[in-house]
Parts: sequence; structure tokens; C-alpha cells
Amino acid sequence: MINKHYWGWPVAGYLFLGGLGGGMAVVSTAADLFWGKGDIFALGNFIASVIIGIGSGLLVFELGKPFRFWRVFSTQKAVMTVGAWLLGLLIITSTVYFSFWLSFLPWSNWILIRQLLAGFNLLLGVGVITYTGVLLGSMKARPFWSSPALPILFAVSGLSTGLAAQSLLAGLWPYQATQTSFEQIYGFLHKLDTGLIVFELLIVMIYVLMMRAYAGKEAEMITAKLLTGAYALPFWGGLIVLGLLIPLALYFIGGSAATLLAPWCVLIGGVFLRFLIVYSDPRKMLPGETMYKERLPKGNEAFLESWK
Amino acid sequence: MTRYAIVLDTRRCIGCHSCTVACRTHNNLPLDIIYNPVFTNGPTGVFPNIHTSYMPMICMHCANPPCVSCCPTGASIQQEDGIVWVDENKCIGCKACVMACPYGARTPSPHTGIVVKCDFCADRLAEGKEPFCVQTCHQRARIFGDLDDPKSEVHKLVNTEPVITLLPELGTEPHAFYILD
Repeated sequence: MINKHYWGWPVAGYLFLGGLGGGMAVVSTAADLFWGKGDIFALGNFIASVIIGIGSGLLVFELGKPFRFWRVFSTQKAVMTVGAWLLGLLIITSTVYFSFWLSFLPWSNWILIRQLLAGFNLLLGVGVITYTGVLLGSMKARPFWSSPALPILFAVSGLSTGLAAQSLLAGLWPYQATQTSFEQIYGFLHKLDTGLIVFELLIVMIYVLMMRAYAGKEAEMITAKLLTGAYALPFWGGLIVLGLLIPLALYFIGGSAATLLAPWCVLIGGVFLRFLIVYSDPRKMLPGETMYKERLPKGNEAFLESWK
Repeated sequence: MTRYAIVLDTRRCIGCHSCTVACRTHNNLPLDIIYNPVFTNGPTGVFPNIHTSYMPMICMHCANPPCVSCCPTGASIQQEDGIVWVDENKCIGCKACVMACPYGARTPSPHTGIVVKCDFCADRLAEGKEPFCVQTCHQRARIFGDLDDPKSEVHKLVNTEPVITLLPELGTEPHAFYILD
């Protein structure tokens, strides 16, 4: 009962996949609108739809009443309602936008409509990568989440993982132009991702240090858990070294290591970040609450069930 | 206007857990769900001057409940009389309200999949009775009533005793008031 994680791995997995899918949509639509290279990243839009779909599936799986999931599409002003609409729309519009790049379809040369849809998807993607952080950051009951820096961290990580995934998918079907060398494009993507990783590293460091310094005893205990305690290996090994420092070094070295290996490290780092944040959820305990919950029976599930 | 509130007088609470049992009986709760635990605070101080107090808990029925504003389906409802409750037909069990509540007043039921909580025994209030935990408390440590009624005991206590609320810094404006000793 103490510090029970009511939101577990499905939510952490969703936060990663949602950020990844949203980031991919942002990258490919921005490349179409501002770089003129939307064709190279076309496939990423469809993959983004699939990824967000899987993530949303995890969310539904996590519900206590999965078959009532449609009720989130309500007129409430809750962050989760807004998020559900953003996810549902982006799954559809991202696939529709992808279809504009299929040359055998009659609407593949409707450039203006494609670009309008790109702008719409860009906004939706920004919404998706932002709202997950807002959802957790607005929980005042959870000291380690309750911070305006959390949406920034999630947004930067979403963009970074989206960029990494897009650099793996760049130039795949349905891209058909004659360009054979992607060196220049990879170079630009890697520079962009390097900047995002440095920024993310800064945010993580500042986030943990500020939580340690000012956010109260519970947040301080969680930072101790992250820095030197039970979560130290996933934090230092998974997030900082594997997820941020190694891709930085690979991008610095360049070559095929940067092209093939670094994006995977960035993606794994994104998974670690979401799990570490979701599992850093303890509430501030009320006077005497810890002792009370320690005294409740544990491991009596069979006993509890036998009363029925 | 009616604004239900509860006063929890820790000077009177002897830590007998009768309210927990009463709640379980009236709401027919399974063994692993508790709406109103009684926490033991202490012993504090240095022997022989040690002291133990009891913190009877309940949903704070906040005026500004974070569990209502985060509900994506409108299942988490705050009535005009202040009662915060869950519409079991609308709840999808997303647990956003469980994460949002700073007081641990909400439990996702592993038996039904929806989130359950104290509703000040709204069924008993409709019959003109007090919540069952209030009626059961033989030390009168739980005092329930209409805060807006100047003649009610809660109104008098809240306005004359040095009452506190829990975690007021979070801005939830709890309507469970504690008298500490």
C-alpha cells in the first residue's frame, strides 16, 4: 500500500510512445513546411500513427474499465480529455497526410491541401508532446512531478526521440527521387539532435538539482533514490550515459555509428526517462500515514479472496 | 446554501478505529479498501514526556478539488453542497484523480475497476441522518454539519476553535477541519 504505483509501466510506455509519435509528426511536417524535404520523411508520418496507436492502446489497457475508454472523448476541460482528442486526431490525420505522398493516389499532387494538413499536424504534434508533461506536471499531490519544467523536459525528449526515429526512417519508401547520398541530411539531423540532447541533459541536471534543493522532503528523497539509491543504475547508466552521453559522443564521431547506432541510444534514453519519472511518484505522506500503511496486512490476497 | 463540512477533534479521538469499521459496514467495502483510516501520530517527545495523538482521516471534500478538475469523463463530481463523489457509470478507471489527490482519499477498486471514495454517506444525508462514521464516533471526535448554517456545531467550531486543514499550501481548500491538541 505504501507508495503503490497506481500508474505503472503501461503509462510510462505510453508517455514514451506518445512523445515519440508526436515528435515524429512535428519533425516530418516541419521538414515539409520549412525545409522542403517532406518527401524524405513521409513514411515517418504513418509510423507515427502506428506508434501513437500502440501508445493509446497501452493507455486503454491500463484503465480499470477498458471498454469505457470512449468516454474520455467528452467535453470536459481536463488535461486528459484534451490529450485524448489530440491523440485520436493525430492518429487519423497523420495517416491521411502520409497518403498525400503516395504517387498512385489521385490527391498526391494537391500540394496546398497537403501543406495545410502539415500545418495542422504540426500543431497537433506539438500539442501531443506537450500535454503529457502538463498532465503529470499539474499533479500538485506528487512533489517530483509538480513542476513547470516537466512539460519542457518531456517536449524536448519527445522532439529528440522523434528526430532520432525520423533519421532512421529517412529516405525509405515511398521516397522515390534519385538522390542517393543522405550525408548532408544526416549531418543536419545529427546537429539538430546534438543540440536537443545537450538541452535535455541540462534540463535533467537542473530538474534533479532543483528537486533536491527546494521541493521538500519527499522530492529530496526521490532525488537521493535517483542519484545514489535504487534508481541510480537506470538513471546514470540508462538515461545519462546510454541515452544522452553515448549518442552525443557518437554524433561527435560521426560516420555510420552516428547514423545507425546513436538514434537507437536516444530512443532507449527516452524509455528510461519516462519510466524514471512515472515511478518517481510518491505523495507527501500525512502524519502517521506511513506507520499505518506498514501495519496493514501484506500477502494476504488469498485470505481476502476467500471471504467471498 | 448548504455546505457540508466535518470537524475532526483530535483532542477527543482515542484511536479506536470505530469510524473505519462503521464506514466499512455501511458502504460494504472489501477488506483492502479503507475510506477513513485513523493514523497514529507519535509517540513524540522524550521519555517520560511522550505524547501520542490520532489523526482520523476522511475525504476532505475540498472546495477546490484537484480530483474533479483532472477527471477526463466528468465522473468525478463536486456537488453544490460540497460533496465530491464518483459517478460509477461514467468512471473509466484512468486513476488520474488518484494521482491528483494529495490526501490519498481515493482508491481504484481492484474488484470493480472504478475509483471509489467517501461521499459523506450521501444516501444517509438524503434521509436526514449523519454520515455513519460520525454517528458511530462515541467520543464525538467527528462533528458533521452545514458550515453555512450559523447555528450548526461545525460552524461554531470552525469559527471559534483554532482549526487547521491538511496541506493548505496546495490550495485545495479542504473542508475537513482539524482541532489539534
